Amino acid sequence: MKKENLSPDEIYLKDERFRISYYFSLQRLMDSLRKIGLINPPLVTVRNGRFILVTGWKRVLACLQLSFASIPVEVSGVDDDLQNFLIAVHENLATREFSLIEKAEIIGKLKTLGVKKNEVIRNYLPLLDIPANSSFYELYLSLAGFEPELKEVIHKKDIPLSVLQIFSELKPEAQKLVLPILLPLGQNKQKEILEDLLEISRRENIGVENILQNEEILSIQGLEKLSPLQKADNIRSFLRKRRYPSFSRWKESFDSSLKKMRWPKEIALKHTPFFEDEDMSVTFSFKNKKEYEENVEKLKQMASKKEFSKLFR
Amino acid sequence: MAGSSYVPQKVYIEEASLEYPSTRQIIERLEGVPTEIIQNPQKIIQRLHDSQDWVAEGKRHLLLARQQGSFVKPCPCTPHYIGCNYYIINLVFNCPLDCTYCILQDYLSHPLITIFVNLEDLWKELDIFLQKREGAYLRIGTGELGDSLAVDHLTEHSKALIFYFRGKDKAFLELKTKTVEINNILKLQPADNVVISWSLNSFRIAKEEEKGAPGIETRIMAAKRVSEKGFKLGFHFDPLIRYSGWEMDYAEVIKLLLKTVDPLKIAWISLGSLRFPPSLKPLIKQRFPHTQIIYDELIKGKDGKYRYFKPLRLELYQKIVSLIKGCGGEEIPLYFCMESEEIWRKALNWSPKGKEDVEELLSPWSNQRNS
Repeated sequence: MKKENLSPDEIYLKDERFRISYYFSLQRLMDSLRKIGLINPPLVTVRNGRFILVTGWKRVLACLQLSFASIPVEVSGVDDDLQNFLIAVHENLATREFSLIEKAEIIGKLKTLGVKKNEVIRNYLPLLDIPANSSFYELYLSLAGFEPELKEVIHKKDIPLSVLQIFSELKPEAQKLVLPILLPLGQNKQKEILEDLLEISRRENIGVENILQNEEILSIQGLEKLSPLQKADNIRSFLRKRRYPSFSRWKESFDSSLKKMRWPKEIALKHTPFFEDEDMSVTFSFKNKKEYEENVEKLKQMASKKEFSKLFR
Repeated sequence: MAGSSYVPQKVYIEEASLEYPSTRQIIERLEGVPTEIIQNPQKIIQRLHDSQDWVAEGKRHLLLARQQGSFVKPCPCTPHYIGCNYYIINLVFNCPLDCTYCILQDYLSHPLITIFVNLEDLWKELDIFLQKREGAYLRIGTGELGDSLAVDHLTEHSKALIFYFRGKDKAFLELKTKTVEINNILKLQPADNVVISWSLNSFRIAKEEEKGAPGIETRIMAAKRVSEKGFKLGFHFDPLIRYSGWEMDYAEVIKLLLKTVDPLKIAWISLGSLRFPPSLKPLIKQRFPHTQIIYDELIKGKDGKYRYFKPLRLELYQKIVSLIKGCGGEEIPLYFCMESEEIWRKALNWSPKGKEDVEELLSPWSNQRNS
């Protein structure tokens, strides 16, 4: 390892073979560099007569933005790419936690550098706090293969692995279409949309991207008066109905009967989940005998209506 | 193994199992298959974990072990639905067949086909168990955590079990299978308290979702042979699976069954629709990427398992019941596996108050049956 001073321009940044991090803000680092300069020199190595960066991407990019004329660097004498990459991994590992996309980059690059699957599973997944099994290896590898814009959104929006696990089953064109729908939603609803899409796709033997081009979905997306969250929720309901048509019809008919009967809002009528049991329950609150009797009277009135028996199909 | 008997790639023998006669007999019947004596199977199981499909890999390996827990257990059924008071004998864990919907893929702690060789302990346990239940009728079988006959050519369990239960009139033994491993049974005299049962499905489901199992016609022909030998028969349409054209397909099988086999020889037919715990779904997706069966309208039932939305189940059952009754099976006792009181009532116009009522329905001594 020897020290040198280089102009940041002399480092060939297009060679990203050792790069782990892509999506970061340089602002705080630039503030620090302005005040105290570059204290920890980046690590470079020489390939094809050019300096390429091993560690210190943020530092070099910040120095470039600040137009530093010269920066101190350490030059690695290690020829082996894997060894250099591991230096980069361990240096980062010592100081911070990797994001999900960074872990995916590492696994992807280990594969590119010729590390066998079993070795990655056995030696590197535990290092990255990933369960050491084949399915996690495959999952992270597929994340590494996502397009950069997609990775950036996933990184910035901190989309959880459980969602990405399903997301990764989509084709790239479907991923691009569905991502904006998912972003305003919470994790459970994100998973629900993805699962419904995949299962409709498999059952009806059509591509997810075709489902997303459905007229109703497009018209929901075109409604300017709706917020992104409202649009996402409406699309979710549309997909639920398509995934569970019989149950949805049953539920709609039940709700419609209640509506026709003008079921009193102050009395809650509950059926069991998915109408699996015949049992139903009513709940109301009351402060005194009069209120109690009024509610009981309302229930009697409901029972006398023709629609009432339709609740018990 | 659709047309041939199961032969493992390798046999692992737990050291403690070596002394049992059953171990020696199985090894003799597997002449030429490599064997390895092991202290315990943990290392083998660990090695299987690294394979791409550990369930499939496990089926290629046979483990001979001692049953260290109880052989006899109440059938676990499922919470919140009506059971049938069945008991299971755990002599074999796992199955060489590879059905898409099989719960064993997820249920068992390891995928090795495991044969328990300490039969001497089983007989002792059964003696005590039956003694304790003296006076009470009992239905008991081996086909819950494995197929009753799939490895019978190696174990000859059918012979031993029928020999044990013959004459124990209050206990009704059921051997349940999808295979046609009936050679041992055909060599025996029938016993009044023994039922040989087949799981049946539509031709399409059998072909597409029951990998390794003989076709439906072959199963029905095997049942006919067993029936002609004098044994009572049982059939299990379980899991019934919906798809476009299911009505016609199931009608075809029911017609064939009741044309081939004398309905009076049928002790019972059970019906159950597709159901599985959520944990099995990813495994099915991974192991059977082309299957469609898990994408129908399966909702989470009261027991947390996926099952068809109730009106769809009811439609399925009502159709199958009417087909059975319409094809000459009016007198065959029908029952549901893991269903609600409402389903019983709406599909059979009768509902049991609990599992004892179901047992009563299925007992050969039943008043309900004879009335």
